[in-house]
Amino acid sequence: MLSQPEYSKEKKVGEGTYAVVYLGTKRSSNRRIAIKEIKTSGFKDGLDMSAIREVKYLQEMQHVNVIELVDVFMAQNNLNLVLEFLPADLEMVIKDTSILFTQADIKSWLLMTLRGVHHCHRNFILHRDLKPNNLLLSPDGQLKIADFGLARNMGSPQEFLTSNVVTRWYRAPELLFGARHYTGAVDMWSVGVIFAELMLRIPYLPGKDDIDQIDVTFRALGTPTDKDWPEISTFSAYNKIQIYPPPSREELRRRFIAATENALDLMSGMLLMNPHKRLDPIQCLTSEYFLELPEPTVPSELPTLKKNT
Amino acid sequence: MSKTVQRSISGQKDSAASSIRITDDDLYRHSTQYRFWSFTPERLAQIRSDVNARVTTKTQLDMKVFLESHPNLTQDELAAIKVKAVPVSPHEELLLVNYFARMILSFAGKMNLPTEVAATAVSFFRKFFLSNSVMEFPPKEVFHTTLFFACKSENYFMGVESFAKKAKTSADAVLKHEFKLLESLNFTLMNHHPYKALHGFFLDIQNVLSGKVDMKYMGQVYTNCKKSISDALLTDAIYFYTPPQITLAILLTEDEALMMRYMQLKFNLNVDTSSANGQKEFKQEDPSAINAERLLEIIKSCQAVIEEKIIPAKDDAVKITAKIHYSQNPISVIDRLKRQREASSEAATPTPSESEVKRQKT
Repeated sequence: MLSQPEYSKEKKVGEGTYAVVYLGTKRSSNRRIAIKEIKTSGFKDGLDMSAIREVKYLQEMQHVNVIELVDVFMAQNNLNLVLEFLPADLEMVIKDTSILFTQADIKSWLLMTLRGVHHCHRNFILHRDLKPNNLLLSPDGQLKIADFGLARNMGSPQEFLTSNVVTRWYRAPELLFGARHYTGAVDMWSVGVIFAELMLRIPYLPGKDDIDQIDVTFRALGTPTDKDWPEISTFSAYNKIQIYPPPSREELRRRFIAATENALDLMSGMLLMNPHKRLDPIQCLTSEYFLELPEPTVPSELPTLKKNT
Repeated sequence: MSKTVQRSISGQKDSAASSIRITDDDLYRHSTQYRFWSFTPERLAQIRSDVNARVTTKTQLDMKVFLESHPNLTQDELAAIKVKAVPVSPHEELLLVNYFARMILSFAGKMNLPTEVAATAVSFFRKFFLSNSVMEFPPKEVFHTTLFFACKSENYFMGVESFAKKAKTSADAVLKHEFKLLESLNFTLMNHHPYKALHGFFLDIQNVLSGKVDMKYMGQVYTNCKKSISDALLTDAIYFYTPPQITLAILLTEDEALMMRYMQLKFNLNVDTSSANGQKEFKQEDPSAINAERLLEIIKSCQAVIEEKIIPAKDDAVKITAKIHYSQNPISVIDRLKRQREASSEAATPTPSESEVKRQKT
């Protein structure tokens, strides 16, 4: 691995609980890069788990829709991840009311998200924190899945997983119920919620807290029954919840005015309560929605934030 | 990993459409395990001898400096140094690494750690010594670091304090080499162990030989093979073969008749090797199809590597550790010689034991 002077740290752009992010340049190629410097002091258990996960999983993936880990190096007892420079994220674009989205734009972002998720899943990697804020956008319009600090390998059947994953609004019902076994379907739920958010331009299921999240989710999509999800009654929290009817097709059409029937089918398929029935990335990528017009916008022609170039 | 095999097999059926799809084999070729940690036997031997040579050169330089700064040594003393204070060989390094790698397995067992954590720790530990010498980093120190780091990397987190307590060491000692370890691993942490492949084949054998195998017996095969895999992880097979290949080799060793029958049905293996024309019949129309005879050849060569396993005795480990100590501290050879002389002039000499060396080390 290369030593530090290969990269310059020019500007501090962010600081999280376990890392500081700098903008910089790779000197040999003049490429713009971001350096995530992992804090090491103050962590009594040595290298932080999030940093370990990030390095572990990003090293395994090379895909146009997954953020590129350019290099890793050690300097002054700090771990530095050199990542490709990505100036914007999907949340910023969704929130910027001066930008208009077309259906073709939404299709393009969804397509790139699904391709990235497909690549993670075929490598047996669960992301576990998909949300617009973690879908970064490159200057040429490519969408890249980032932040693998919560990622893990798909569990084997006898393994217990923690249900305390995924940012609340994007959390699948099995996680809300505290499931100890789950699959890539948790990521697919998040993508479904992101798809809805792209169409609505506001968060689709904004629960105020974990209890409220259950209520908000089922009020919008109907409380699951053991008819469509037989294992549901094995969750202890299930018996205490309010029963809401599922939304009629007409209600969905009214809520998602511009969505085509195929778009609604795809979204509903990703938001199926039963994780076994929920669509997987291949089913989504080969769905009618991507075959009908309009064609997804070419990434370089997607709308961008005005202030970033 | 068993899927690797299964999918590329099914690939031959749906031909054209799927031929441009990325196979699981392609994905494996993108893994860091394949890109950074798969070697030819020659390359692996070269890496080990390079690591050893680098430190040997340094040790010899240090020795020269020592001799120059001690011009008054007697012939006896010089002779003792020449015999005792020599760097260890690549083979001795390997023995010591294997000794401790084996200890990691039993230690992890005692700590009740999951199999995959233990396997990853062994893998990390062995890889660490592909870029560092046992003469630079005492395996005994790296031992705890790798086990703790493997816990974190395999999502089996426990606090360093409670780990240190269970391992009867200190938190500082556990964390001491963590950065060096991560760096030595080239920042690649993903391990594809053969256990998943074993589970896949275990299910597929029951499917392919449906009704012809006893479930209880298969359970026994599975348990035995799981143990054999852990043993195989201590061999160089992990650097030369893929996880499903290692698994098939182990299954073949466990029950050859069963596996030959399975491979016959699954991969169209022609078991009747005497009929030459039988071999020509099928194959090589579809490049993605598995050539069963070739596969069997690979599995058998893998079997041979697994059977070459080195099980160093504790005695070997103690001797090598002592040798490292003397090569790095030539003065201790002289001290030892002096003590021996004093002892023999006083009374009947007790044979110098290796425990004496151990005392000096700690």
